[in-house]
Amino acid sequence: MYGWTGHILRINLSTKTSRVETFTEEFAHKWIGGRGFAVKILYDELKPGIDPLGPDNKFIVAVGPIAGIPAPNTGKAVVAAKSPITGGYGDGNLGTRITEHLRKCGYDALIVEGRAERPTMLYIENDKVEFLPADEVWGKGTYETNGWIYAKYGKGVGVLNIGQGGENMVRYAVVRSLEGRAGGRPGIGAVMGSKRLKAIVAKGTIPIPQADPVTMKRIGAEDLRKVQQMDKESGWSIQSTDGVLAWCNEVAALPVRNFRQTHHVDAWKVDGERLNNARIATYGCPNCTMRCGITIHDDAGRESELDYENIGLLGPNLEIFDLPQVGALNYMCDDYGIDTMSGGCVLSFYADAVDHGAISGDIKFGDAEGFKKILTAIALRQGQVGNLLAEGSLRAARAIGHGSEAYAMQVKGLEVAAYNCKFIPGMALAFGVSPIGAHHKESWVITFEIKQTSRDSYGPEKAQKVIDLQRIRGGLFEYIVSCRFPWIEVGWGLENYPKYFNAVSGLNWTLEDFWTVSDRVYAMIKLFWLREHPQTDRKLDYPPAVWFDPANSDTEGPIAGRYLEYDKYDVLLQHYYDIRGYDRRGIPTHATLARLGLAAEAKAAEKYGSLV
Amino acid sequence: MMKVTIKLIGPLVNQLGFSEKELTVAPSATVEEIFALVKIDKARPKIVTRNGRAVGPGEKVEDGDRIVVSPIYSGG
Repeated sequence: MYGWTGHILRINLSTKTSRVETFTEEFAHKWIGGRGFAVKILYDELKPGIDPLGPDNKFIVAVGPIAGIPAPNTGKAVVAAKSPITGGYGDGNLGTRITEHLRKCGYDALIVEGRAERPTMLYIENDKVEFLPADEVWGKGTYETNGWIYAKYGKGVGVLNIGQGGENMVRYAVVRSLEGRAGGRPGIGAVMGSKRLKAIVAKGTIPIPQADPVTMKRIGAEDLRKVQQMDKESGWSIQSTDGVLAWCNEVAALPVRNFRQTHHVDAWKVDGERLNNARIATYGCPNCTMRCGITIHDDAGRESELDYENIGLLGPNLEIFDLPQVGALNYMCDDYGIDTMSGGCVLSFYADAVDHGAISGDIKFGDAEGFKKILTAIALRQGQVGNLLAEGSLRAARAIGHGSEAYAMQVKGLEVAAYNCKFIPGMALAFGVSPIGAHHKESWVITFEIKQTSRDSYGPEKAQKVIDLQRIRGGLFEYIVSCRFPWIEVGWGLENYPKYFNAVSGLNWTLEDFWTVSDRVYAMIKLFWLREHPQTDRKLDYPPAVWFDPANSDTEGPIAGRYLEYDKYDVLLQHYYDIRGYDRRGIPTHATLARLGLAAEAKAAEKYGSLV
Repeated sequence: MMKVTIKLIGPLVNQLGFSEKELTVAPSATVEEIFALVKIDKARPKIVTRNGRAVGPGEKVEDGDRIVVSPIYSGG
């Protein structure tokens, strides 16, 4: 078998043991890697109803066939577990050198089980696995921890680590890597923390098995240069992802004041032009051709790496229009190892709940210093407010009561990314049916909706577009494990990815073959949800209720008086289910599962819930 | 004559050398004619909005309109 090492490393932190397991060619072709491997392993191995923050959960690191091989933007890994914030399947990807090193150690995935007695760092070097004490950095942030690791092993090793947010099991804690960024929005960092696993370090030297390494080396090098040139010609990296902030502000899609408003007169102060002007450096992941991370000095003089999502949600969403202040909140999230998106939404939820009198407090929108204090309390789980908000906006709202669920901007428990969909039905659907909760990584349809359709359409063309993008973004890029940016932002052709895959695997796949895998992976995630929530229904796939509220509609601007219409959204959702072959609850039918080669999984799923 | 504002997004700012400017145009001016005035490449893929709503190149503009020209972002 080429393209895969054929090995998974299973590590038990309770017993300090490890073993190497093999997988079959059939498994590899069916699930490819990354998200595909992760959901299949977690579905097969986790008992239903386990505590995501208990020792029975498993932490997965999975890469894919082209991950780590020099080619455009292949330096990504997927981290996954049962999510502490949604209770369903959770994952995320992040740039990290552990991708290449894990494969060069001879593994396509890690499964970490149990719970260590003491804070632990795993060190993996080829076939060696060491369980090392991490007491020295327990309680430290991700920057200091990563630095400590580099001091021990040098900067060339691959690293995953958590900060205090993960240690304290903040339900939206992420996994961090200084060679890239953060991943695992649905609390995957909290799962590491629950296992007292502070960090994983990998260093590998074994060549990655490839069918045609000569061709792969040639096309990989050529294409790295081509994508770099395309990026340069397009100018995309000048403002990077924050270029979209000004546009969102113009078309009434910017989250302002906990998504209450869709645009703001001061938004320009944190837009891509201002970010570029404040730039002190640019960061990218391993094998990156279009480095998206722009760093600025925050208000304490620290180097903070910003992009649109964290600016949108820690800036205008909190009514903060000062880049150094936004940079400070972002730096704190990164250092604590807390998701910047959920962090922003949880802070805005709290300010909104206080503003509406649902809970007493002295925080106000725009109060950067106040938000910093709350962020620290969350990461360290200090006091009543810190502990409350560390649970995420939905749990906090349910604890507070007084109608405060209306202020929780979340789907399935996971907070929404920085697109205000008061009147963008297709993007609201994309958030609603994202299989891990409200994440933009699965499907992003706003420009399609506004340029190529009627904005107020709830027609099947929008459901189809969401599915098309899910197959590519949440499917292909998440299981071959490669960054989607070359395709989405500078037009690097999708046909290149089968080219890389075939060179490393010796197979002759087309894009059509991949779409079947994508649909299989999405169906498998749905079965995971069904098992955990046997009474599941289509309401799980609804966006935040406030977008349906006429009282929340804009009073001026391009969407004045408009809001998502509940009945029409339900029709749009049904279009999505019909195209996907799901039943009215949003669960794949027997026929769909059989078509996707999941007949055995369908039969097993009948133990947990009925299938149509 | 009438006044319209044109706002550029993303790398267009660097390529054309301005972020936002007010133009004086003929009452019958179209979006495409405004592009010609500020030298925006007609062939470049872009999304154009007039007061927040998408428009095509042949759309006529009105006094006080805000025309925004952006690359077709795909959402990070």
